[in-house]
Amino acid sequence: MSRNDSAQSNRHVNRRKFIAGAGAAGTIALAGCSGSGGNGGNGDGGDGNGGDGGTMGGDGTTTINIITWEEYAEMQENIESTLDGVELNITPSTSSTEMFSQWSAGQDAQYDIAVPNNNLVPRFMDAGLVAPVNNDMVNNFGSMYDRFQSFVDNQFTEDGDAYGVPIRFGWYGYSYDSRSVPDHEPSYDILFEEDYVDASLDGEIIMYDEAAKSVPAAALYLGMDDAMSGARMTFTEDQLTEIQELLIEQKPRLQGYIAPDPTFIQEFRQGNFLVGHSGRNETVQMRSEGDDWVEFVAPSEGALAWYETAVVSAASENQETAWEVINEFITPQNGAALAEAGFSPSTNPNVADELTEEQNELYGRIDPSRLEGMYSIKDIASDVEEAYISTWEEVKAA
Amino acid sequence: MATDEPDESVRARVVRLLSGPRSRLGVTAGPSAAWILTLLVAPLAFMIAVSFFEVSSLTYQIIYEPTLNNYRSLFDGGGLIWQTPFVTALWLSYVIATVTTVLCLALAFPLAYLLARKGGQLFKIVIFFVLLPFFTMYLVRAYSWVLMFGPGGVINSTLMSWGLIDAPLGIFNYGIPAIIVGLAHAYFPYMLLTLYASLDGLDFSIIEAARDLGASRVEVLRDHVVPLTLPGIIGGSLFVFVPSVGAFITPTFLGQGKVQMIGMLIESRVAGSYSIGHASAASMFVLVSIVGAMILAFRYLSIEDLGGA
Repeated sequence: MSRNDSAQSNRHVNRRKFIAGAGAAGTIALAGCSGSGGNGGNGDGGDGNGGDGGTMGGDGTTTINIITWEEYAEMQENIESTLDGVELNITPSTSSTEMFSQWSAGQDAQYDIAVPNNNLVPRFMDAGLVAPVNNDMVNNFGSMYDRFQSFVDNQFTEDGDAYGVPIRFGWYGYSYDSRSVPDHEPSYDILFEEDYVDASLDGEIIMYDEAAKSVPAAALYLGMDDAMSGARMTFTEDQLTEIQELLIEQKPRLQGYIAPDPTFIQEFRQGNFLVGHSGRNETVQMRSEGDDWVEFVAPSEGALAWYETAVVSAASENQETAWEVINEFITPQNGAALAEAGFSPSTNPNVADELTEEQNELYGRIDPSRLEGMYSIKDIASDVEEAYISTWEEVKAA
Repeated sequence: MATDEPDESVRARVVRLLSGPRSRLGVTAGPSAAWILTLLVAPLAFMIAVSFFEVSSLTYQIIYEPTLNNYRSLFDGGGLIWQTPFVTALWLSYVIATVTTVLCLALAFPLAYLLARKGGQLFKIVIFFVLLPFFTMYLVRAYSWVLMFGPGGVINSTLMSWGLIDAPLGIFNYGIPAIIVGLAHAYFPYMLLTLYASLDGLDFSIIEAARDLGASRVEVLRDHVVPLTLPGIIGGSLFVFVPSVGAFITPTFLGQGKVQMIGMLIESRVAGSYSIGHASAASMFVLVSIVGAMILAFRYLSIEDLGGA
């Protein structure tokens, strides 16, 4: 081997070493980054990489890993003291889509329970991520309002097995400033028709900044009830065109579109609008904080109801315990704590026994007849999803 | 017999290893290169890759079969291409970013000129007040404008309470003017500091000479000041224009949902239907157009020019 060859060979070795070293350093750095991303994994079963869902600790404690909305932490202490040997590890989330995408990407083994909105549950089922309800463990199921039991039958029951348990709910209608807007027959007409009430509402209306809320509202106004009757919401092309035209025609009358509750509340108080397409929670919160000029009504055409639904991962090793925990979510005591924290009623009407008269007025017992006229919010059918999204984008771009 | 030789040998090897040019490069540039690779290049590469794949609407998982559907769907909508939501949003974003840039330039140039001429205590005071909002979060700064604008906002309420107007003025409502004000407020310091760095290096005796030779103020500005500070103007404009095109928080707060810029369209695709392929394809258009603008800009200036004339 010549001297040059030798030098070249050394250079090659050095380069390889350098690349190997850099690779190793990069791997260590990445491992460091990913190591902090895990959730759960409490107890001896935790493997340092996030752990498996539902792990058994050395002292016999079972940890149930839950991804859900932050208010659910209000029930943690009580559930842990009620269920011997059960610890809850709650990861707060702000989006049902996020819950689904995480589970769908493989994190279903890291969690035992998720509590998405009802419209996402069929997706969990279609992806084979969730286990059927264990009726022996969820004995509070029968205490729920009949309406929610029928929603379960309609939306996520397959071969006689239900796949989720509704926990708390709310509905969308509209709220108005009663100091400026006179009493009227509750109807979506107020959002879409001029002169429906004896008040000037041009530039004084807010719509919900989300296709899943505003498109169904327009559909109900147009009498397209059928579109909401199946397991998923579906529209024909002509119906979507009609909805699009209606929403575009409405746009000049709007102050704007708002999605987050705090923004809605702050701007309502600031006097930026008089009528707002909104959830009931925002109004309840405002009234509980002294804004008694706010009125919330469910339109006669039908209100859109949402309900958070607890599901158990098919990959969970502690499904029985997970269903026990879910059963606790809808006990009167825990349901009351959750209702108080989030201004939303529980699906178990017996929760009312744990609340004061004033609380019952706001988020306690709901007259079952009020639930009869509600349509549950549903996912859009996949064959029209693109057209549906496009409809909303056209409205926003107009 | 055991000696210290092995230790010395290890130490010597370590020193030798670290003394090599590659090792020095690895130790100095390595961490930042790893940082950029991990947090910038890798996500960007992922985004580019995802833009060529579809995502299952059923499972939200990527289907690894190359397709141009994401790009095609950007221009779907039944009407003319320039009337599609994507093109409308992209065009609106460029218009808003351009107006914001021009506004920042118009406001910052005289101030930067004054600071460069006077300097001293004035410079410190002005810079302090310009940078003061930076001590708060961007989100808070954007939100403060929400309180200022709107029919019941501070501006309209104040004017009405002073009896200057009877009803809220539309110009102070949420919408495009409010977004431009919010963006200009957010990015003004970048323009000011870049222009100041450029003007500070200017030889003002040239201006005096031109004036002595009879040039008007406008001629001096047009023929001397602007050409000599062009790198600063282009650099500052880039610092304002680029983030303005992709702005999300400010238009979300101040557009009240009635104005749809490209960043909002992309976000709604991800948050609403998890269409990350479609969103990635839309992002590619923004990315390519911004890279194009930068290539164009760097035909007239180098990185060093951004620090001064």
